[in-house]
Amino acid sequence: MLGMFKAMRTTLKHLPMRKITVQYPEQRERLPERSRGLFRVVVDPAGGEPRCRSCTLCESNCPVQVIRVNYTSKYLLPVPNAARLAEARLAAQPGVDLKPLQPVLDDYYEHGTGLIAMLQNAQEAYGYLPRLAIQEISLQTGVSLSQIYGVSSFYNQFRLSPVGEHIIDVCHGTACHVAGAVQITEALEEELGVPDGKTTSDMKFTLSSVACMGACSQAPVMRIGAMTYGGLTPDKTRKIIRDLMHEIGAEKG
Amino acid sequence: MTGDVTTNETDARNVRVARRPGGGYRVTVCAGTACVFAGSLAVHDAFVEEVQTAGLGDRVEVSIIGCHGLCSMSPVVVLSDDTLYGHLRPDDVGRVVEEHLKGGAPVEKFLYRDAQTGVRIRDWHEIGFYKQQTRIALRDVGVIDPESIEEYLARGGYEAARMALTEQTPEWIVEHVTDSGIRGRGGAGFPTGVKWKFASQSRSDEKYIICNADEGDPGAFMDCSILEGDPHAVIEGMIIGSYAIGAHEGYVYVRAEYPLAVKRLTKAVADAEARGYLGKDAFGSGWELNLHLKLGAGAFVCGEETALIASIEGKRGMPRTRPPFPAVSGLWGKPTNINNVETFANIPWIIMHGADAYAALGVEHCRGTKAFSLAGKVVNGGLVEVPMGTSLRHLIFDVGGGIKNGRQFKAVQLGGPSGGCIPASLLDTPVDYESLAATGAIVGSGGMVVVDDETCMVDLARFFLDFTQKESCGKCVPCRLGTKRMLETLDRIIAGDGQAGDIELLEELSHYIIDGTLCALGGTAPNPVLTTLKYFREEYEAHVSEKRCPAGRCKALITYYIDAEACTGCLLCAKKCPTDCISGERKQPHVIDVSACIKCDTCRQVCKFDAVKVRSGIEQAVVTSGQKA
Repeated sequence: MLGMFKAMRTTLKHLPMRKITVQYPEQRERLPERSRGLFRVVVDPAGGEPRCRSCTLCESNCPVQVIRVNYTSKYLLPVPNAARLAEARLAAQPGVDLKPLQPVLDDYYEHGTGLIAMLQNAQEAYGYLPRLAIQEISLQTGVSLSQIYGVSSFYNQFRLSPVGEHIIDVCHGTACHVAGAVQITEALEEELGVPDGKTTSDMKFTLSSVACMGACSQAPVMRIGAMTYGGLTPDKTRKIIRDLMHEIGAEKG
Repeated sequence: MTGDVTTNETDARNVRVARRPGGGYRVTVCAGTACVFAGSLAVHDAFVEEVQTAGLGDRVEVSIIGCHGLCSMSPVVVLSDDTLYGHLRPDDVGRVVEEHLKGGAPVEKFLYRDAQTGVRIRDWHEIGFYKQQTRIALRDVGVIDPESIEEYLARGGYEAARMALTEQTPEWIVEHVTDSGIRGRGGAGFPTGVKWKFASQSRSDEKYIICNADEGDPGAFMDCSILEGDPHAVIEGMIIGSYAIGAHEGYVYVRAEYPLAVKRLTKAVADAEARGYLGKDAFGSGWELNLHLKLGAGAFVCGEETALIASIEGKRGMPRTRPPFPAVSGLWGKPTNINNVETFANIPWIIMHGADAYAALGVEHCRGTKAFSLAGKVVNGGLVEVPMGTSLRHLIFDVGGGIKNGRQFKAVQLGGPSGGCIPASLLDTPVDYESLAATGAIVGSGGMVVVDDETCMVDLARFFLDFTQKESCGKCVPCRLGTKRMLETLDRIIAGDGQAGDIELLEELSHYIIDGTLCALGGTAPNPVLTTLKYFREEYEAHVSEKRCPAGRCKALITYYIDAEACTGCLLCAKKCPTDCISGERKQPHVIDVSACIKCDTCRQVCKFDAVKVRSGIEQAVVTSGQKA
């Protein structure tokens, strides 16, 4: 009985007061503009064990990718702030000229190009998506930066860092895999001195792998710029890349 | 035009390259992706040049065609007297012009050679590969110049659309398509007529029709070939579809990895618009359809319809729950109908020749034909189209001509990362949706990769899982994490660190993934593992318990050695070895220094005497310990 009265008293006391909750999501609290909150792992008070099960759901769904789940057993390693790192990396990019972006934006205003097509066009102009260009697109279209980043990091086609002059695409479709595409990539990695997906330090070559080019009967195949090569063997591949490196004066590594 | 069309009429024999009047030749150079890779454009240029030099400019016409089908002969050149030349180099063109176009005698050297009999065959209709096919979706692929709307019109193109739009009602079309029994050729096999009916019954101010050309399966290139070889057929199918369901806006969602298809489709749309087949008042019927091209940005999951819609809307391509189905709420929340490229390519034929003609082909629940891309270790790889219900054996051994280099058939992988591997014992399975599903594989989009006894099934399963793992959009935990854990387990097995219980773990995880995911990507991701486990379990067991790779492919489990008896001492392998780990004198058997060998396989590939061999399992352990001692 007493408990009930106590509860009633609390209720009555709060009734004439200003409401401190909002009807989320119909109403939204106005947060300070730069507010971003802080993450922390909730620790179970009883056992002292963190409640986080490292399911990585937050990591992969975060639109701005600021969460990173480290696979260490006991949270011993400090987790670097991924957002800061990305920022630093982007800031390190050389000055970007916004002029090539103008036709892309014009196209948007005239024909209402969709976001993905705009990013494709921007990448066509720059070879990758510079942060400045993404910011500009965000400003001009009103699509938030985080959404653009979410889209550009989702699709394989978009690159956020500069690529080499020549992009080497090694096909890793089923037919090419069965015919030994792995050995082709390994031979290229060795000759170029960079792992798959990376660019040589002289910015001449970027080694990448693609899913299927549809030239299965020529397997394994690769494409360097506009040149296509079929029926490869590790030996042939080495010869092709050595000749090309020699021709354009590229260095290993 | 409806009614009694026999299968003969659709037979490849009747697909003839239009003859040039006046007894001249028409030289068509295949410009499908595989042929372009093999240098067909240079061959085309060489023909143009040589013909001019030989002074045959007025009698010989040189043009390009879409994929002719026999990709294993790339680059393929077809003359109007039905001669098929393959493996032509630009330097060989002069000889063909001189001897054949001028002299009238075919050049034996470049003709198709039957692998079994060794006989050279001149007329491509006589080649087993073409003889066994029934081409409907591919009726004009490899026959017409894909960049010329006139050639498409000359073969009766756009007649079906004109007839449908001006003479028939949408209901008649839906009924007709339903009667033909055609099912979605994208893989799931949902009846197209039913799909159209749902879309046509949805009430809305705006509807959309989408062509799914996001052919992401590695090892499949049918949609690519159709778009590259006959883009107008797809456009015509879409026009008919838009009229049937009542859509005025259409999208073709193409993979950006197919630049040639994008280029030809862009031209085809512009040509069709210029002739008034697209846009306002199509065919003068008052019907309006505006067609737009949307380029994919490289995400396999966008082949799933709800993910594809999200992608067109400019979002991350993540599937969502259904219902509501796209037929009710799709693109921009409006009723939307999505069909595959091949489905649309079939529609004009069905309208012209009648539902009965189409339904006469195939088996009970699966009517019509299906295009497959036959690739891997098969003699005649390429683009094929056969009636539903054809047996796998027929496809691989009669159409495909058997296994390359006289090796043993081991399995055929169907349906890419969502499909499975079918072993030799099930080769008589008919190719239709239900029969294949019973084996654990699927028809899928039509990728068919044949593997021989040199392929490790564990490695193949790992390859597909690696693909789905990378392509998982990350929405459902079982798919995102389950495939990762499965991949780790498979990596462990391949690296020789497999433990007892790993195989059971794979099975358990597979079932969780199938049960717990939203879209088909996750729901079918474990299929490659499950089917290889079902039919090739002993290979997994050999990897785990004996640390042996029966196919000799898994690097961690093999050692290369040179068979002293077979080695002639030619020094070729020693010269090619990137790490210089092969030593030996001329005419003396060579030896591989196992400690320096990186197992790049170069020596085995260059050896002309099969002297480089692979050891695995216990044998390998003995050798390695012997080396150490």
